[in-house]
Amino acid sequence: MRRNGFFSPVRILVIASHTFTQLVRMKVFYFLAVFAVLMLAASFFEMPWSRTTEDSAEQELIILKSTAMGAMSMFSILFAIAATALLIPKDLEDRTLYTILSKPVPRLDYLLGKLVGVLILVAVSLLLMDALLAVILHIRTEDLIGSELLKAQQQGWPKEYTDSRIASITQQGVTWDLQAGVGAIFFKAMIMASIALLISTFSSSTLFTIVIAVVIYFIGHFTADARSYWLHSQKDGVSTEVKFLTQGVALIFPDFQLYNIIDATIEGKPVKQGLFMRLATLTLFYSGIYSVLAWFTFRKKEF
Amino acid sequence: MEDTPAVQINHLVKEFPSPFRKTKVKAVDDVSLTIMPGEVYGLIGPNGSGKSTSMKALLGLLAPTAGSCHVFGKNSMKTDSRQEIGFLPENPYFYKHMSGEETLRFYAKLCGMRGKEVNKRVDEMLEMVTLQDARKRRIGGYSKGMLQRIGLAQALIHDPRLLILDEPTAGVDPVGSRQIRDLIVNLKERGVTVFLCSHLLEQVQEVCDHVGIIFKGKLVKEGRLEDLIAIEDQTEVIIRNASSRTLARIRAVIADAENAEFVHMGKPRTTLERLFLDEAKKSAASDEASQETTNDIVNDTMNKEGDHDA
Repeated sequence: MRRNGFFSPVRILVIASHTFTQLVRMKVFYFLAVFAVLMLAASFFEMPWSRTTEDSAEQELIILKSTAMGAMSMFSILFAIAATALLIPKDLEDRTLYTILSKPVPRLDYLLGKLVGVLILVAVSLLLMDALLAVILHIRTEDLIGSELLKAQQQGWPKEYTDSRIASITQQGVTWDLQAGVGAIFFKAMIMASIALLISTFSSSTLFTIVIAVVIYFIGHFTADARSYWLHSQKDGVSTEVKFLTQGVALIFPDFQLYNIIDATIEGKPVKQGLFMRLATLTLFYSGIYSVLAWFTFRKKEF
Repeated sequence: MEDTPAVQINHLVKEFPSPFRKTKVKAVDDVSLTIMPGEVYGLIGPNGSGKSTSMKALLGLLAPTAGSCHVFGKNSMKTDSRQEIGFLPENPYFYKHMSGEETLRFYAKLCGMRGKEVNKRVDEMLEMVTLQDARKRRIGGYSKGMLQRIGLAQALIHDPRLLILDEPTAGVDPVGSRQIRDLIVNLKERGVTVFLCSHLLEQVQEVCDHVGIIFKGKLVKEGRLEDLIAIEDQTEVIIRNASSRTLARIRAVIADAENAEFVHMGKPRTTLERLFLDEAKKSAASDEASQETTNDIVNDTMNKEGDHDA
């Protein structure tokens, strides 16, 4: 007889690939058409003060990136929350959960399988959007460099100045730093998917899960500001207990301000590798905590 | 024969909290039963009597409030116990986006099967439930009978020693229902232990060799079917082509006998179901297209009857 371990990566992958197929067959990739139209519209956008300021070429690229990354962020968070919130209640409603859990499948495998399946979907859609952005951004950058060179030739710019202009425009094009920004979007989606997973293990409706997850998402964006403001306003200093309490709050509500490198990459600023790795570790930590909590509530759940 | 019971339920109690009340609702109240390997056990009782709750406890979907459930000696709250169990829930719905074949593949892989073993087993199961023609069709387009059969195939995919069926023929037309019963009989011959619950008593009587009657959460009667339904002080004699003179003589003999009492004489009747199945078979032989229509009509009729039953 087969032995069933505490959890099995192969079984998690079986559930994950099934979840991915399920979501794909729900025709979620149609959104890519919307994204493509948005990208094309943004790429035709020209600054109204075109050619009047020195860095208008860079500004055009920043607007293009900002539109694309904003849409990527929105779509990935939306997918992560909605797909995760939908899957477990649907399995329970259709009683497919009974047929799965009556097989030798540990409940942890089931939960992680669903989570990984959603994350694969988010990763694939982000990669597709990223590829589209890279192609359009590359074409736009080459186009702008061409017109900048033509301007340099016509106005007889010194070589050093021309080179610095070209370097400045290239920095706003397709760079590895921009990919780090896309990575950070994925990390945020990963945390949101784990939060939605945790909520859906005790919530009785998909709508409740989605609403609470969105509220946590917004709280996550100002939790750091609120904490530092409050700590500074305490003139006499704060006790150790209060410090622990605020740290506890930071654990429940993730601090999304740490993920602001997305904005930095849109502006073409470099991202240090160390910072990216720290963010990856933090994401794993947050996701891990939410997944373990989800398992705790799901482990003893009765159907 | 193996000594370890296939199913052992010891003093199982399951209580559910009742909203607006301090007391809890007892869905199952001190139920104990043992099923030995190779037996077909039918748990019968009205709706809400605790049949499904007992089954869910046996599958580890519910934790017992008191008592315990064991499957081939393993506690049912442990994942390992499920390696031996195949389960078909009542009115199962599978993932509509998948075909019958994909569904079986998915469940086979969940049970730890890999590669060629999966292909072989999926082919075998589709053949067993006669769904080879519909293997590539999406489950969303399956009829109720087909869903029940693919459900049975997924329950058996990992060759379990115990099969648990919750109302296996509910809402299925007589032809589909007969197919499912034939499959159960076939599994019994192969030594698979079957634990089924139903409120369709006639069907339970046909396939089960042990029966338990559950009422308001309590197991009120249990034992071998033959022992339970036999009327010990009566004897049935069926005679073909007996003339009225012969029958009169038999009556006279009984009247003369000491202590014997004549109770009833009449023509045995076939069941409506058997009559229907014979007619369906005849129509199928004469015209395949007409069978479709018959099934539809019968489906409607049975659904209405089902509604009346409910």
